[in-house]
Amino acid sequence: MKNQGGDLERTIHPLAAKYLRQERMPHLACPGCGIGQVVHSTLIACDELALTPENTVWVQGVGCSSRITYTLWKGDNIDAHHGRIFAVATGMKLSRPDLNFICFTGDGDCMSIGGNHFLHACRRNLDVTVIMFNNAIYGMTGGQVAPTTPMGAMTTTTPYGNIEDPMDSVKIAMAAGASYVARWRSTDFRQVVSSIKKGIQTKGFSFIEVLTQCPTQFGRYVLKTGDPLKILQWHKDHTVTLKKAEKMTPEELKDKMLIGEFAHTTDRTGVVERYWDMIKKIQSERA
Amino acid sequence: MLKQECSINKYFVQGDEAIAEGAIAAGCRYFAGYPITPASEISETIARRFPEVGGVAIQMEDELASIHSVGGASVAGMKAMTVSSGPGISLKLEGLGWGIKNELPYVVVDVQRAGPSNGVATRVGQGDLYTVKYGSAGGNNSIIALSPMNVQEAFDLTIECFNLSEIFRTPVFLLTDETVGHTRELLVIPDASELKVVPRRKPTAPPSEFLMYPLNTPGTIDYPYPNIGEGYGICVSPYTHAAKGYATTSEKDQDKMATHLVRKVTDHLDKLTRVQEEMLDDAEYGIIAYGCEARPAMEAMKKARAEGIKVGFLRPIIIWPFPDEPIYRMACKVKKILVPELNRDGQLSREVQRAAKGQAEVYHLGSGGVETHQPVHVYDELMRIIKGK
Repeated sequence: MKNQGGDLERTIHPLAAKYLRQERMPHLACPGCGIGQVVHSTLIACDELALTPENTVWVQGVGCSSRITYTLWKGDNIDAHHGRIFAVATGMKLSRPDLNFICFTGDGDCMSIGGNHFLHACRRNLDVTVIMFNNAIYGMTGGQVAPTTPMGAMTTTTPYGNIEDPMDSVKIAMAAGASYVARWRSTDFRQVVSSIKKGIQTKGFSFIEVLTQCPTQFGRYVLKTGDPLKILQWHKDHTVTLKKAEKMTPEELKDKMLIGEFAHTTDRTGVVERYWDMIKKIQSERA
Repeated sequence: MLKQECSINKYFVQGDEAIAEGAIAAGCRYFAGYPITPASEISETIARRFPEVGGVAIQMEDELASIHSVGGASVAGMKAMTVSSGPGISLKLEGLGWGIKNELPYVVVDVQRAGPSNGVATRVGQGDLYTVKYGSAGGNNSIIALSPMNVQEAFDLTIECFNLSEIFRTPVFLLTDETVGHTRELLVIPDASELKVVPRRKPTAPPSEFLMYPLNTPGTIDYPYPNIGEGYGICVSPYTHAAKGYATTSEKDQDKMATHLVRKVTDHLDKLTRVQEEMLDDAEYGIIAYGCEARPAMEAMKKARAEGIKVGFLRPIIIWPFPDEPIYRMACKVKKILVPELNRDGQLSREVQRAAKGQAEVYHLGSGGVETHQPVHVYDELMRIIKGK
């Protein structure tokens, strides 16, 4: 499309100009994908907290979550193998506790192949901020079933319908000991911004799951639509806020995902702080 | 500190402990491991020692996490190490690919035990020679591996592994075995001022002019490595990259990267050839062995020499890249070469055969492991092949 303003600079969102590499535009997201909205929210959070490309590292895994965000950030971009994002982040954060780490992962990357690492990163309360895009399917590889895919859903690897129950990342993160846990939809714009900000400010492991619409794969195979709005409607129909859920029966809550802020602990330290405190203590004892 | 014996700087320790001390001496300040026999003593020594020297040692949830966190620490500027044995090494190979592709300096120690699978966890084997070289999927690798034969060398070569990993910007293996790891003998730790330690090289060019990967000059070594938080906006990923680190799918870029990763090693064999040669000048027969098997092999050579049989010995110290040239020279001199090793598939002997290019007959003396060969085994086999039976 011809640039109507004639001056390309003017068409760039000021936050994109501030934080993203222009030479990496356009990014790889499909039309209608929800990841762009959440990246936007992330940039607002970074801006409001005055983070800089110098003091903040973007970390990615494998999948749409990561391939789209990799090399967008003007600062360091460290993209791990599939599922190993938390292991790589552990090495980096323990080595450079002074830097902020924002980790972009997906439901497959985090809950399936990275499941064990996810548990232990929560348990260690690793001081990083994790944003998990949940599109409820393997998008990058062509629409295969994920551990978050709804029961009964048709995907390319469940041609007769998914016979497995989906797992709830929020419950797992809370049980494993994450300091901050929240879940929103990509359309909950202000809440996502607020949660990412809280996540960055919270000591310890911060986990923010965002339901993102995937018209290319989830829409096509599960809902039989390419219309992102219809997937957003599906999100709306299958989610309830924590507050609303309090007054609902288990029968009414069946097939519903809760959204809201589930945990926000501000007084718990994590492995990074504790390790460096231990070093200081032992070194002063030996001195 | 370790408990000192005899006099200052002398210790009576296991090979595993020597590796831990070697890492500290080399400036390693990040360690991640997962419990596995017979490498756990390295993790235990490091867990105790690292906080004393300001290093981070963590036990991760599995082998994958431990090598990936070491990769992360390396990206963050730390000299880093992980250790394991066969079953753990096969898991670590995934992370190794990320390290090779992104040219990350770090060290992986493989204390080999009898395999396949869990095998005999507490006993020696030498089955990982090809695993460390070819195990990382996708090929196009730049594997460097060093192999010590005693406790002192376990210390010295660990430092050397770190130095090579910095110079070549690649993960380097210390390929040792249960016998060396668990043998307790004298270790001399020289004064820090006497040790050669290569620091992480930092770029002098400003970020706008610096390219993360020297792909336009394939085979470049001694290239600086900026780390996270240094303003260079580094890009590290599992995908094939162009010079800045951006992912690419072009055939040209893929070939550039693959060529660079391979030539980084093959263009610098002068720096990566190290063997021990004994009594080869007049030798008519030869023995080639590495790691723990070198010791019975040398004893067998001495016994044969005492009887007037002209036997020489060669030991690869840097075992990958394989010392083709010295072995070819040896093969041109001797009639027959015996290769004792602790596997039945003949890993080292196949490599020797390839390097000998038909200049000498190569004989494999294998064993499933658990025990090293005794000198008499090697001697008897040597006599058998000499007599042509």
